[in-house]
Amino acid sequence: MTSRSLPIGLAERRAPLRFRLHWLAYGVVAVSLLVGIFGSALLTQDPLAQDLLARNLGPSAGHWLGTDSFGRDIGARLVAGTRLTLVVAFLASLLALVGGAGLGLVGCIAGGKVRALVYAGFDIVRTMPPILLSLALMVALGVGTSSVILAVGIAYMPLFAYVARAVYEREMASGYVAAARVIGAGPWATAGRHILPNMLGAMLTQVAIVLPRAVTTESVLSFFGLGVSPEVPTWGRVIATSVEFAEQAPTSLLFPVVALAVLTLSLAVVGDRLRKNFDPLRAARREDVSHG
Amino acid sequence: MGLDTSDPHRHSGSIAVQQVYVETLTSIGDDGTVKPFLAERFDVSEDGKTYTFHLRNNVRFHNGRVMTARDVQANLERVRDKVKSGWLSGAMKMVQAMSSADPTTLQIVLSETYAPFLSLLSELWIVAPESEGWDATLRKPIGTGPFTFGQWQPNVKFTAPAFKQYWQPGLPYLDAVEFDLRGDQDNSLSLRAGDIDVAYVRSDKIGALRGDKIDVQFLGDTAWYFLSFNNRKPRALMQDPRVRQAIALAVDKRSYMNFISGSDAMTSNQPVRPKSFYWDEGIEKRDPYAKPDLAKARSLLQAAGVDPTQQTLKVISWQNDYAQVAVQMVRQLGFKIDHQALDDIGAQRALGAYDWDLAPFNSGPRSDVYLRYARLLSDGPSPMLWGGIQDKDLDALIAAAVASPNPALARQRYLDAWQHVLDKLYTVGIGHAADVIGVAARVRGYRTGFTWSQNRVDGGLARAWLAA
Repeated sequence: MTSRSLPIGLAERRAPLRFRLHWLAYGVVAVSLLVGIFGSALLTQDPLAQDLLARNLGPSAGHWLGTDSFGRDIGARLVAGTRLTLVVAFLASLLALVGGAGLGLVGCIAGGKVRALVYAGFDIVRTMPPILLSLALMVALGVGTSSVILAVGIAYMPLFAYVARAVYEREMASGYVAAARVIGAGPWATAGRHILPNMLGAMLTQVAIVLPRAVTTESVLSFFGLGVSPEVPTWGRVIATSVEFAEQAPTSLLFPVVALAVLTLSLAVVGDRLRKNFDPLRAARREDVSHG
Repeated sequence: MGLDTSDPHRHSGSIAVQQVYVETLTSIGDDGTVKPFLAERFDVSEDGKTYTFHLRNNVRFHNGRVMTARDVQANLERVRDKVKSGWLSGAMKMVQAMSSADPTTLQIVLSETYAPFLSLLSELWIVAPESEGWDATLRKPIGTGPFTFGQWQPNVKFTAPAFKQYWQPGLPYLDAVEFDLRGDQDNSLSLRAGDIDVAYVRSDKIGALRGDKIDVQFLGDTAWYFLSFNNRKPRALMQDPRVRQAIALAVDKRSYMNFISGSDAMTSNQPVRPKSFYWDEGIEKRDPYAKPDLAKARSLLQAAGVDPTQQTLKVISWQNDYAQVAVQMVRQLGFKIDHQALDDIGAQRALGAYDWDLAPFNSGPRSDVYLRYARLLSDGPSPMLWGGIQDKDLDALIAAAVASPNPALARQRYLDAWQHVLDKLYTVGIGHAADVIGVAARVRGYRTGFTWSQNRVDGGLARAWLAA
């Protein structure tokens, strides 16, 4: 059998590189958050202002990242769009967490037919890829920021529900829950006092995993013109506006695409780190291995 | 190019495709005049009320049967009795009597003079009465066109095979045509890639197309661009004429039209192209909104006691870029904007609810000046695009124009009607630009017409072929 492990020397040399990469990802996410919170206040250009005589320009001193087909400053639109893109992604993830984990937990506690019904519902939702489901929901809900949040949130609910069920079953099988039940704690009290706190780590990890997907999904919806108003500068809109003029002004498309790719990748790396550090299921597996 | 129904008598404006399989008594020539088509010739009585059509005697339907005057009469009766809305509904109400003395002669008597009648007949398609769905909705229309009704996948594609017994000998040259019905997409890339041969393209793609040796053609008539107010259910804010005036003064017509079609575009406050017969230089020169004046606009809002920063205007539009230009121009006054950019059906629904304030739209080329005015009528077709005007005085002015016995008087009456629209500020006329058609290098014999027609007396797809 061939060993797949790296030579010791090479593994040692790569460790510092991995260290720097995830810190870079933390940095990108931190900067994005800061831009999202404070960026609009620092803008010197109005992201909505059009200069119809300065359309599809490349980077210059006046427009660092160039202009789009309406003569709007790409940099200003990216900065302004950061907030909306992140807010939509965070709120959609939060909705998915509350709806998915909450409903899933209620189903687990109620048990029997209720549980079967709840998870049958999640199974149905899960049969469609989240982006496709979000597109379908947007058609039904109509355009608007709240519709985007709702569509993306619903699409990702099953991910939280399945993790909630896994954690619930694991905790219910543990000794301290059995002890609590013996001294008379009911299922709802047990869930509230013992299971929910133990679920937080797994949920936090799941949020970190869903967040970059939500950013991408929101961008896709905006790209297809199903998100917010066309003038509103979400990253998906910025890309959609620039894509038709990729030949005339390639940088107008390049910068927002790179920004989206870098942020999505960074969020994924951060999510992976959180999963490694906080996921109780993974910690439990580690314990099993060490005791095994 | 769209195909929104298989019933040629019930379309909601998408007529470019269906003209290849159904035809009409008259046709709009490439110079914009009305010419006989399925009719070999027509006579009009001096009082303008009696029309006699002499039909071609060799026209066959796609099922092989020869078309007769009775068939044509049956189509007119179907539109008159069963189609309650649309461009033709007003005209057909005036049809007092119809008779066919022999298989090739049809006489129509109108209750009053109606100038656009011959033009409107260029959109009354003749279908064999034995077509499936004749009594309700036609499912598979049997027409007389150079191509037949083949396979239709709504919003995807439509395939029309050639009709071998077409009444024009030797035509069509092509074995079949296939229409891409997918709508709002950048056709220029497909044209350049050779995936499609003829397509509507945006004017900002002209340079790239010409660089790839794609022929660029322009329709004879222009599309008219305008910004309408909600005239049927305006909220209190928008009932104040000073607010409407302020918004009109925020629109920079030259920049707007430059954005749409560069220096080829024309600004105008009128619904017909500048320098044409029904256009008036005096009205143009008196346009108080010819140039933007934001300072004056703001003072008007102030005089009206309106703080625009506290007001959100709801804008409905198609998903065209120019709507964003309109929105930004109005936003300069300080208004917050809730802009919904929708597809054609979505926009019609939203507009029909009259829960909006502004609507930047355009109206494509028209075969008759009346068709520019029809939607301003209280009972006009799809009046929501112009904010659902309900104005009896305007109705009377347009009716007077339509009933005019000669073009000079008709022109004056149409101008009176338009002056009324301007005085009421129902809509802000912005300008005109010709739609652009890209034609692949291998296509021969294809020329665009006055309007979108793909099969007409002077040309169309029947006379197009592909180079080897």
